[in-house]
Amino acid sequence: MVQMATPRGKWIGARVKRVEDPRFLTGDARYVADLTLPRMVHAAFVRSPYGHARIKGIDASAALAAPGVIAVLTHADVASVPPLQDPIALDGLKKTPQTVLASDKVRFVGEPVAVVIAEDRYLAEDAAELVQVDYEPLPAVTDAEAAMAEGAPLLFEDLGSNVVYDQTYRFGDPDSAFQQADRTFKKRLHTNRFMASPMETRGCIGQYDRGLGELTFWSSTQMPHMLRLSLAGFLGIPEQKIRVITPEVGGGFGQKMTLYPEEVVVAFLARHLQRPVKWIEDRRENLMSATHAKEQIIELEAALTNDGTLLGLRATCIGDGGGYSFNTASALVEPQAAALMMPGLYRVANYEARVVAVVTNKTPVGAFRAVGWTAGHTARELFFDEIARELGMDPVEFRRKNMIHEDELPYTTCSGQVYDSGSYVKSLDLALQTVGYDELRARQAELRAQGRYLGIGISPYVEPTAWGSEIALQVGFPFPSHDNARVSIEPSGKVTVAVTTHSHGQGHETTLAQVAADILGVDLADVTVVFGDTAATPWGMGTYASRSAVIGGGAVTLAAQEVREKILKIAGRMLEADPADLVLADGKVSVQGSPDRSVTLAEVAVSSYFVNSVRAEGEDPTLTATRFYDPKATYSNGCIVVVAEVDPETGQVRLDRVVSVEDCGTVLNPMIVDGQIHGAVAQGIGGTLYEHLVYDDQGQLLTGTFMDYLLPTATEVPPIQVEHLETPSPVTVQGIKGMGEGGLMASPAAVAGAVLDALAPFTPKVEELPLSPERILRAIGTITD
Amino acid sequence: MKPPSFEYFAPTTLDEAVALLAQHGDEAKVLAGGQSLVPMLNLRLARPAALVDLNRVTGLDYVRAENGHVVIGALARQRAVERSADVAARQPLIAAAIRLIGHPAVRNRGTVVGSLAHADPAAELPAVAVALGAEMVVTGPNGERVVAADDFFVSYLTVDLAPGEVLKEARFPALPPRTGWSIVEVARRFGDFALAGAVATLTLDDQGAASDVRVALFGVADRPVRVPEAEQVLRGERPDDDRIAAAAEAARAALVDPPSDVHASAAYRRHVAGVLVGRALREARERAQASG
Amino acid sequence: MKRAIALTINGVRVEAEVEPRKTLADFIREDAELTGTKLGCEHGVCGACTVLLNGEAVRSCLIFAVQADGAEIMTVEGLAQNGQFHKLQQAFWENHALQCGFCTPGFLMSSYALLQENPNPTEDEIREGLSGNICRCTGYQGIVAAVKSVAGSAE
Ligand SMILES: Cc1cc2nc3c(=O)[nH]c(=O)nc-3n(C[C@H](O)[C@H](O)[C@H](O)COP(=O)(O)OP(=O)(O)OC[C@H]3O[C@@H](n4cnc5c(N)ncnc54)[C@H](O)[C@@H]3O)c2cc1C
Ligand code: FES
Ligand code: FES
Repeated sequence: MVQMATPRGKWIGARVKRVEDPRFLTGDARYVADLTLPRMVHAAFVRSPYGHARIKGIDASAALAAPGVIAVLTHADVASVPPLQDPIALDGLKKTPQTVLASDKVRFVGEPVAVVIAEDRYLAEDAAELVQVDYEPLPAVTDAEAAMAEGAPLLFEDLGSNVVYDQTYRFGDPDSAFQQADRTFKKRLHTNRFMASPMETRGCIGQYDRGLGELTFWSSTQMPHMLRLSLAGFLGIPEQKIRVITPEVGGGFGQKMTLYPEEVVVAFLARHLQRPVKWIEDRRENLMSATHAKEQIIELEAALTNDGTLLGLRATCIGDGGGYSFNTASALVEPQAAALMMPGLYRVANYEARVVAVVTNKTPVGAFRAVGWTAGHTARELFFDEIARELGMDPVEFRRKNMIHEDELPYTTCSGQVYDSGSYVKSLDLALQTVGYDELRARQAELRAQGRYLGIGISPYVEPTAWGSEIALQVGFPFPSHDNARVSIEPSGKVTVAVTTHSHGQGHETTLAQVAADILGVDLADVTVVFGDTAATPWGMGTYASRSAVIGGGAVTLAAQEVREKILKIAGRMLEADPADLVLADGKVSVQGSPDRSVTLAEVAVSSYFVNSVRAEGEDPTLTATRFYDPKATYSNGCIVVVAEVDPETGQVRLDRVVSVEDCGTVLNPMIVDGQIHGAVAQGIGGTLYEHLVYDDQGQLLTGTFMDYLLPTATEVPPIQVEHLETPSPVTVQGIKGMGEGGLMASPAAVAGAVLDALAPFTPKVEELPLSPERILRAIGTITD
Repeated sequence: MKPPSFEYFAPTTLDEAVALLAQHGDEAKVLAGGQSLVPMLNLRLARPAALVDLNRVTGLDYVRAENGHVVIGALARQRAVERSADVAARQPLIAAAIRLIGHPAVRNRGTVVGSLAHADPAAELPAVAVALGAEMVVTGPNGERVVAADDFFVSYLTVDLAPGEVLKEARFPALPPRTGWSIVEVARRFGDFALAGAVATLTLDDQGAASDVRVALFGVADRPVRVPEAEQVLRGERPDDDRIAAAAEAARAALVDPPSDVHASAAYRRHVAGVLVGRALREARERAQASG
Repeated sequence: MKRAIALTINGVRVEAEVEPRKTLADFIREDAELTGTKLGCEHGVCGACTVLLNGEAVRSCLIFAVQADGAEIMTVEGLAQNGQFHKLQQAFWENHALQCGFCTPGFLMSSYALLQENPNPTEDEIREGLSGNICRCTGYQGIVAAVKSVAGSAE
């Protein structure tokens, strides 16, 4: 697909206020929790208090007798529902089926064991406490390496091992690279388990109409059609008899792109009880049972020449997948993604990667913004900082030397990614210039003399985007991936755009309207974007992995162009002019050079729908087109620089500022791009300094509330300055690239890099994140016992 | 996450409150600002059979200066105390401590006395009470008694209050002349409970020596602790940097068994306690010197 | 046992019989049917449930509805007057202070209270004043900018 010759109008690229905002500002926006249906009842799940235990029996009689209780279901009641498992077809990947309510065993604290339905949530929680589950506790294993060891307690006895995947990939000739090297280096990094933690937790409502045999399902999900497909399969309801509606979704970041057992149970109950059933997850449930993310143990080795040229890399990425190799994309979702992108934007000709996925007695791991890449990128960048320090090189020089330069693009990496275009060195330079790198180094020296420790962290990145089939293959998850858009001009001349990529904060109602408005020559206010209802949109995969701008934008472009051609054809007949001579702008079609010969778009639409004479024989009266788009792989890039000050007596970190240079090709709306970066960087700050899901060795989650799971607030996130470069992709429609994830891929390395750079005089050693005050003091040897 | 059921009482006088508490014994809990109790109820970590809500008791929200003390009634909100002119003039340490508690919306509801009664070992106000030698005025079925802060805080979330008793007010001695003060802490985020914190006051005599010095720590034991070992190093001495460093070291050495949790180990708390004692004493010295 | 209570919410009297354990947040959302007020944690940390109780910002998940009997409550639905945005709402819109919008009602109410008390806060005061509210989408950049843009301007 080549870049389309659509002239850029006034909307694409404009910093337009979001059209969706007013309803959120007034409190009128409706999320699942805000919906009420007649006769609705409420679910509360009984969850495992053990990390690993056998279920010997369940007695629900006391719960059933409690006030307001309608039903209590356990595995036996839902045994007809098949277990959940991932759809990834990779040789050697073992499956770990998960029944929607635990049957014989529980494998993590928080696993759903039973469900109570009552007249309200208060009563449901009361009764849930009365369900007596007879557990036989089993030894738990909560560390991935311990789980791999001989004799470790097994989560799935029939698999004979906790390792669900272990493969080694070789690209180039890594062994000779290491033999030829002047110097070799090693690093280990155990990245912390943290999570998406959207401010709206999960939730859903099921309503079943027995007469019609139809299930309507409201869910806070990122993927309505995929959810419908799954529910159909699990419940045996024909897909076309299920309607999935996603009202407003209060953030997802990957956590809501999976099928959850709770959703299946609620849908089951709606049919079973013949009453609408609502389940709104509470925060404690979200922290212990919604997917966790990002935890890997990564070991890296690098082969270098004396002048700092990188000859080869070796990586071992062990993904700690939690209690089940989860149905999103299996326990490989972390280590596979990390391993394949490990070379990043550096010239690495020879590379060996071992990818291991392990199950442990912790919450299953799923996608979270920049899945896999955060951990891999952080490990590599911190490793490169260490190497540069050892070699006595400035970290910038080391990177510049090994980085792919613009004139080498397009560039095919040894592990098979095709970097189409970008501004790698330019982004680095712009970031350094914006932050004032040389002055900062001078200031750092000055402050050190006063006993103050300032540090600069630098993290250049390349970000796979536009999650279509091709990129899915390039980054290790072969699965077809495309989406659709339907663009319609209504008889009134107004435009409806129906898309399958869902918005939960990304502002698609604005950006996709900008695309359609430019192509159709209408005002933004005349375009309405519809999504989140399987009855109102064509079939599609949903929003994940920075795909919506490219795929949604691309599909809208293609469909709008088709509609545009129809409009011009009809207007040509109305104006008795050649369509090629017509101009479509400002809601009017006029003849090039003679602006008074014109018709309004509304006139064209009315004619098309109602005036048979303007149509050719057999021509469709509707001004509608539905087009799909499965883009070629395209890669965004950028560079994040963080400035931090560290108190070496207490280990406290204060971030001064963040500079982020972003090149995501054609920018649809810079305000929204900035917002995505701000949010992703803040999440990176959280994951590097504050957020950590900590377990004890029995699998108890020790950070199960927001008092202990620490999300950064306005006092922890410093000003973030975003600078834009724009290198349009040569391979996508409109030259758009995605950009939702780079901030969380790259900011942790910049934050941690800044902290470690500040402490360089103490030669800090860090093998684990997050950088809590304690870890910082240990890294510099202030506390040792 | 919904609270379990409870019986709810909203007495309008303290006598009535005491009678209700006495009637329900240890099944009942006082509800003040609710900023600690209600999260515990919502999480079902507390399940009192009855709640006796003090919020409708009239005349309990006072903050006043009285006989060289700042006296704070059971319903005085942290935010009101933080803004009180009497507090600013007589015992600014209280206001400074309150500013380290949570966030404005928490302080709008939370009470000073509730924080003392709750006795979280990492809380600021109990440590201030211990450092200043505040008095706790307790009302119960058998009348009123006054308990010294040192005796009031027993252990983790446990104070010297019998079933049926209410903490009616706390009396903080006003700051003497030529006295400097400080409260410093390390918390993970702004507004979080402290991993460790230190409170210090320092009174200088005409020669510039420390005639009185008080050091208390929070977050490092099962309750706020006074640190006489550190105070001794300075009492009667000029508080120069070396002496203060020695006092900080003494504080570190005096810590018996600091707690370990997901946010910090005992070793971290011990180390940082010393750092904070040093910082608090230096700041208190500067303020004392500035106060002429 | 249920109790009869009466509150004024955004100037409208709301009466209901409630169980003492019902939180003010649930009362506002369920009994008063004002679902703009959100629940993000129900244990006092996230600030999504922030409303004004007799003029002061409070976490409505940490107050029981019975405690608010007779009180004046203001929620996000009370900000706009006669179909006109409050200047904070306008500023949030212009500064891209929201993405998914879930935290927005809480931030608006906290910002409103902050400016009532301190009409001209510095950036640090804004950040500290809003530190009891969590947003997972925006990194706070737009929110701080929005409040800053309103700071100092008269009511
Ligand atoms: C997000 C958040 C952050 C916080 N951060 C901090 C912090 O950094 N530092 C800090 O110190 N606190 C912090 N807190 C707690 C807050 O300060 C509470 O206000 C305080 O601990 C308790 O005061 P309260 O009036 O709310 O008491 P309540 O929650 O009503 O009561 C707490 C306990 O004390 C008992 N009690 C209360 N008053 C009396 C009385 N008069 N007589 C007898 N018993 C009584 C109650 O029965 C209960 O057991 C935070 C709270 C939140 C929600
Ligand atoms: S819901 Fe009340 S503070 Fe989070
Ligand atoms: S806008 Fe989504 S949480 Fe703030």
